[in-house]
Amino acid sequence: MTYNILLTGVGGEGVLVTSVILAKAANLDGYEVRGTQLHGLAQRGGSIPTHLRLGKKVYSPIIPRSEADLILGLEPIEAARACFYAGSHKTNFIIDTYPLRPIYADLLGQKYPSNESISKMIEPFAKKLIMVDASNICYKKLGNPIFGNVMCVGVALANDMLPISEKNVLRSLKEIVPRGLEKNLKAFRMGMDFKG
Amino acid sequence: MENPEVLGKEGKRVVLLGNEAIARGAMESGVGVVACYPGTPSSEVPMTLSDVAQETKSLYFEWSTNEKVAYEVCAGAAWSGVRALTAMKHFGLNVAADSFFPVIFTGVKGGFVVVVADDPLGHSSAQSEQDTRFYYRMGKVPCLEPSDTQESKDLTKLAFEISERYEIPVVLRITTMVSHSAGTVKLGKIRKPKTTGKFVKDLKRYYNIRPNLQVLHAKLIEKLDKIEKEYGMRLNRIEGRGSLGIITSGVSYQYVKELGRLSNVKIAKLNLTHPISKAFVSKFLKGLKTVIVVEELEPVVENFVREVAKDVNSGLKIHGKDIMSRVGEYTPDSVLQAVAPILKLRKPDFRRHDQDLKKIKIPVRKPVFCPGCPHRSTFYAVRKVMGDNVVWAGDVGCYVLGIFEPFEMQDFMISMGASLGLTHGIKKVSKQKAVVFIGDSTFFHNGMPGLVNMARHGTKPLVMIMDNGITAMTGHQPHPGTEIDGMGIRRKPILIEDVARSFGIKNVRVVNAFDQKSLQSAIRELSKKDELCVIVSRGLCRLVMKRNVRAQGGTLTKFKVVNNQSINCKELVKKFACPAMVMKGGKVFIREDVCLGCGVCMQLAGKGDISPIVKGKKEKE
Repeated sequence: MTYNILLTGVGGEGVLVTSVILAKAANLDGYEVRGTQLHGLAQRGGSIPTHLRLGKKVYSPIIPRSEADLILGLEPIEAARACFYAGSHKTNFIIDTYPLRPIYADLLGQKYPSNESISKMIEPFAKKLIMVDASNICYKKLGNPIFGNVMCVGVALANDMLPISEKNVLRSLKEIVPRGLEKNLKAFRMGMDFKG
Repeated sequence: MENPEVLGKEGKRVVLLGNEAIARGAMESGVGVVACYPGTPSSEVPMTLSDVAQETKSLYFEWSTNEKVAYEVCAGAAWSGVRALTAMKHFGLNVAADSFFPVIFTGVKGGFVVVVADDPLGHSSAQSEQDTRFYYRMGKVPCLEPSDTQESKDLTKLAFEISERYEIPVVLRITTMVSHSAGTVKLGKIRKPKTTGKFVKDLKRYYNIRPNLQVLHAKLIEKLDKIEKEYGMRLNRIEGRGSLGIITSGVSYQYVKELGRLSNVKIAKLNLTHPISKAFVSKFLKGLKTVIVVEELEPVVENFVREVAKDVNSGLKIHGKDIMSRVGEYTPDSVLQAVAPILKLRKPDFRRHDQDLKKIKIPVRKPVFCPGCPHRSTFYAVRKVMGDNVVWAGDVGCYVLGIFEPFEMQDFMISMGASLGLTHGIKKVSKQKAVVFIGDSTFFHNGMPGLVNMARHGTKPLVMIMDNGITAMTGHQPHPGTEIDGMGIRRKPILIEDVARSFGIKNVRVVNAFDQKSLQSAIRELSKKDELCVIVSRGLCRLVMKRNVRAQGGTLTKFKVVNNQSINCKELVKKFACPAMVMKGGKVFIREDVCLGCGVCMQLAGKGDISPIVKGKKEKE
């Protein structure tokens, strides 16, 4: 069985580094890992969906439509945008409710939806939906919203939404974000202890 | 080193990006010289090898001025017996093409691998959807195509082997979903590079004038035939058995495998896609009733299959571009949808899914200039001074984002440096005002000939050279105007203003891109002149600035809105479009977590509307 994770958010939020952390941990657990990590134009404040697939043998680096097991959205509307990959009542969602309003919302007069309406849009796809104000909590407690991604990983792990060992996620964190490791570990712990 | 796993020990299983795996493959082949111009989706091949060169000092690396130069540097090294590699995006091969073809005729001595990354769907390229596989047929050069990360490494090694054995450059063709896919790779042994060689004069090889030209041509055809014979059966493989066949290569192979276990279907996977082995394809086609060719973009393999089938299986039903698009990129879903009726597979029912997706109403998110980007400031100033009735000539770089609202100041964008030639042509037949926007790296790459041509023929547009000090779009690689080169060596930067003045252009002005007053006054003055004028709008890429400031333990001063009812600030949200400036409940705010402190908004707002945050919180990684 292949386990499909879709990570998404806005360029600069740490989507790619989160995928690298998880891929490394999964590799240490003995999975074959495949996924996509797009760089370039879209990174400039654009939307970044990153695919990660784990299994005994994995083929396509892209998740087939509606086959995602977990969607980890570091930005609320980007999580909603990724629902193409979510199945009907099949996919677990973890959403950081820290909004990054696209400038086009103001320029083109498009409404940025509330958390309630986002969860309503996602409801038909969700097996379980956890909204966590991770970046804000990290801003307040650790001085920088950037640790929100690692906190979300903690939430996913604590809720059995990631078939990866805690031991190897920690090892991967140590190797990939050695700078600011202490705060990353704190953020991870806050995620593990989060009661939604 | 972005990913230290690239240097991992032999036998270790690690996760690498396709491009990193190619870099590792080159190291396992003992590559001695690497020269490239950055082009996504291939950029991480040279970025990784630049890091390796700086860390190990075991090989020579350079960021060349463009792909043609890079290709020539590698060919020169390979002629002298040293293994060399260059990597480029598909459009890079257009630039290198003039030298690409003749070097295939002369051949090489040291192995020479040319990595070319196509980008169907244009993830990291605009301009056109180009299938470079035609080049390899025209040039008579062997081409290998990996389907995943492991193969990216392994086929790079094999490409070096074939190249050296047959004394011919070998292309490793990848697409975005291979180069930017991550995957598990088992590492091999790193080979100590040979970095010195000698050019040996040899008229038989380098004398490419007739009648020897025809001798070289015949020899090349002979080489290709031998490669087809030696590797055609060995490199390609057949999986399964049945009366239905699928022929595929590259990432499309993965989408075929994603269909699951198929009964009565056999799959031919091509790794050597030029020359395609006629013997292999004939063997595969014999006894089949139907064959489907799954390949992105053009029907290159399909046309070959049609030709072979005439001789070996004339009743064969052949599907390809009749059921799958020549446009864009394939996905597991598009392949399933296309082949399901033929393979009698069940198509998933997505009617309900479609309905639920339709209910998702969220704002669009196009890419934007980063907070603090010097280009935003330049575009704003030009628009402010010159108004709307101007031809805005675009070029290739981060500034293409000026195509979107609210600027909409890239009327066209064709290729590296093309803004200059195109504007020259327009100005020769029209009296319209025109402004050229071109970046620093693009100027060095292919902008210089266009500017010389303007100087020579007396056209008079305003040329804005937007110098952010780095090749930013592809991930911050140095260029000739940068202080540190690809080996980490300090060099004297070549200044764009010196280059422009050396062409005899009198009006060359350098302005700080973050200083609206000077910028606007320079544009006002020079746009009125009836002469060719160049403004170098200089401001370091803010992401580099942020990194530099942090590395020195400092912080960037950020800004806040003091008067959040100010009409000026509300105007700026719409006209300056900085992601850090947001409207909330009719008031304007600057998000401290997003602001990168360029301070341009403060210069543009009303007096006292915006101010620096005096005691900024210390940011930490």
